[in-house]
Amino acid sequence: MSLARRAAGPWRALRWTVAVIYLFMFGPILITAAVSFNASNRSQFPPQGFSLRWWGNALSEEWLEPVLFSLQLAGATAALCVLLGAPLAFILTRQRFRGREVLVALTLGPLMLPALVTGVGLLQFFQYMGLRDYIGFPSLLAGHVVISLPFAVRTIAISLHGLPPNLELAAMSLGAGRARALWEIVVPLAKSGIIAGAVFAFVHSFTDVNLSIFLAAPGQIPVTVKIMGFLEFGFAPTLAAVSVITLIVPLTVVGIMQWLFGLGDFIYGDARG
Amino acid sequence: MGTRVGEAALLLKGIEKRFGLVTAVRGLDLAVAQGEFVTLLGPSGCGKSTTLGLIAGFFPPDAGEIYLGGRHVENLPPFARDIGVVFQDYALFPHMTVAQNVAFGLKMRRVDRAEINARVEEALDLVKLGGLGSRRPLQLSGGQRQRVALARALVVRPTVLLLDEPLSNLDLKLREEMRAEIAALQRRLAITTVFVTHDQGEALAMSDRIAVMNAGAIEQIGRPTEIYERPATRFVADFIGRTNVMPATVGAAGSTQVSLVTVQGATIEVATAHSLATGARALLAVRPERATLATAPVADALSLRAEVTQILYLGASREIHLTLDDGPAVIVDLANDGREPPIEIGDRVWFVAAPASCLVLPA
Ligand SMILES: Nc1ncnc2c1ncn2[C@@H]1O[C@H](COP(=O)(O)OP(=O)(O)OP(=O)(O)O)[C@@H](O)[C@H]1O
Ligand SMILES: [Mg+2]
Repeated sequence: MSLARRAAGPWRALRWTVAVIYLFMFGPILITAAVSFNASNRSQFPPQGFSLRWWGNALSEEWLEPVLFSLQLAGATAALCVLLGAPLAFILTRQRFRGREVLVALTLGPLMLPALVTGVGLLQFFQYMGLRDYIGFPSLLAGHVVISLPFAVRTIAISLHGLPPNLELAAMSLGAGRARALWEIVVPLAKSGIIAGAVFAFVHSFTDVNLSIFLAAPGQIPVTVKIMGFLEFGFAPTLAAVSVITLIVPLTVVGIMQWLFGLGDFIYGDARG
Repeated sequence: MGTRVGEAALLLKGIEKRFGLVTAVRGLDLAVAQGEFVTLLGPSGCGKSTTLGLIAGFFPPDAGEIYLGGRHVENLPPFARDIGVVFQDYALFPHMTVAQNVAFGLKMRRVDRAEINARVEEALDLVKLGGLGSRRPLQLSGGQRQRVALARALVVRPTVLLLDEPLSNLDLKLREEMRAEIAALQRRLAITTVFVTHDQGEALAMSDRIAVMNAGAIEQIGRPTEIYERPATRFVADFIGRTNVMPATVGAAGSTQVSLVTVQGATIEVATAHSLATGARALLAVRPERATLATAPVADALSLRAEVTQILYLGASREIHLTLDDGPAVIVDLANDGREPPIEIGDRVWFVAAPASCLVLPA
């Protein structure tokens, strides 16, 4: 009884802290969502009346195209990050070789750089190397892979760290070649880490604006950049609706992955899946 | 050793392995006959696992040759060596069922489906796990995992079976049960086996021969009784069982007999294979269970004055700690034969050992 009472104080404080954090996280989102249903022309809260016309605008060609573009870009980024990140993570966790530190720095370096700097750098690179034509999707993809790769590599490396190296040796002693041991043993056991890595890369790409703003081209504009551009004309309720869409897309992807593969196991700590 | 390639199921010649500055294995020779159970026994870090890894092909030796079933293998990767390995942590594949784990090696060998099923079932029966094929490793007890690991290694009928401390993760009772079972299974299948342990009890109970390792080399190899009764060095004598050691000087040395002068000027004639020069320093060793206590010196036996310092009652025996006059501390194990002569701390007694119970070791 006395124990329970003594614990009650801290527990209540924790509960309140969590509530406040949630309020700060979801408050603006809920307000934005509410604003998108405004009947008036101004972004008001609480909304005046109820109307779906902003949603009509948001779901028009003008906005669906950049949303679709962002989706493709994020999908391609996630795929490339896994294809590059899984072998990289494997090499970095299992092999000791000269230049390993350099490879680590190169892989994780972009984490330390503001994406903005990477963006400017890439833009100049594409211009001065005579690759102007590739500004747009290809340059965006390159940039997004650079800034998203660290997340994929880290996540996959964590899942590989949890595997005893003896598993591969056991597979090899039973007659499996190196590649076969990787494919039959390591890949399935690191699966949740690999998928989590892909999801992180996807979300990071989909939500990026700092880098994308430099590398977009006409007709090849991620939705975040389009929103930035639109903001120059003030915050119209259309933007509120678009913002909700850009929120729903990555959440849906995470949700589907969670449903298919049970990411929670990985993200919340049980690397064995 | 003059074993030729053709005769041994497994032959190691002059094997060396370094990890950076550490020499893990130095000039190791070992020949294991077909169907033989050889144990590598030694303290932690003496190179047992490294030796096993070299046989398995997990890493290449820096020098030396390895033959498996007459085949020169030191340049072959593990998957081309036809071996079965049981790891200390079992290394079962957690995402596969027990049956899939056991089937893995057969699948890699492209055995057809029907035969795989039959052999997996047979292997699981062999280790008394029939009916558990659809479980996952994480749903098994430690002892059961151990059996799965054994079945997985055996099902491919490897040329040699390599076991790296497979019992060390089990509790005492299970360990004793499994060691009897593994030994029986090995005899029944007559599979050439190299077993690694640092547990002398396991080594003595299970092996045809024991190779005692020290600092990357084999210090002595022989049948369990040879190793225990005739340890060649102080290291072996200390590592296998316990030994009372006292300093001695060689008196007259014959070809098979030597006369030793030890503490209190006592003299004893001891059989030995070591060639020792008169006047050389040596060690006299007596196992605690081979010595006894007496109230008067015994003729034709080593008899040394001593004082009782401690008595430990162990049930099956009493462990009497003594200090020899002008000599080291020693221990005598007195078997519990129901008579239990009264002994008190501080008693003056004679430490007595028959010549046949005395050993000469190089100093
Ligand atoms: N991969 C490695 N890298 C560096 N040093 C190693 C490696 N493997 C083993 N060693 C070193 O080689 C020596 C022998 O190691 P080994 O694992 O063979 O000992 P062991 O007899 O199996 O000991 P234990 O009973 O503790 O398992 C040790 O000094 C160890 O530190
Ligand atoms: Mg070891």
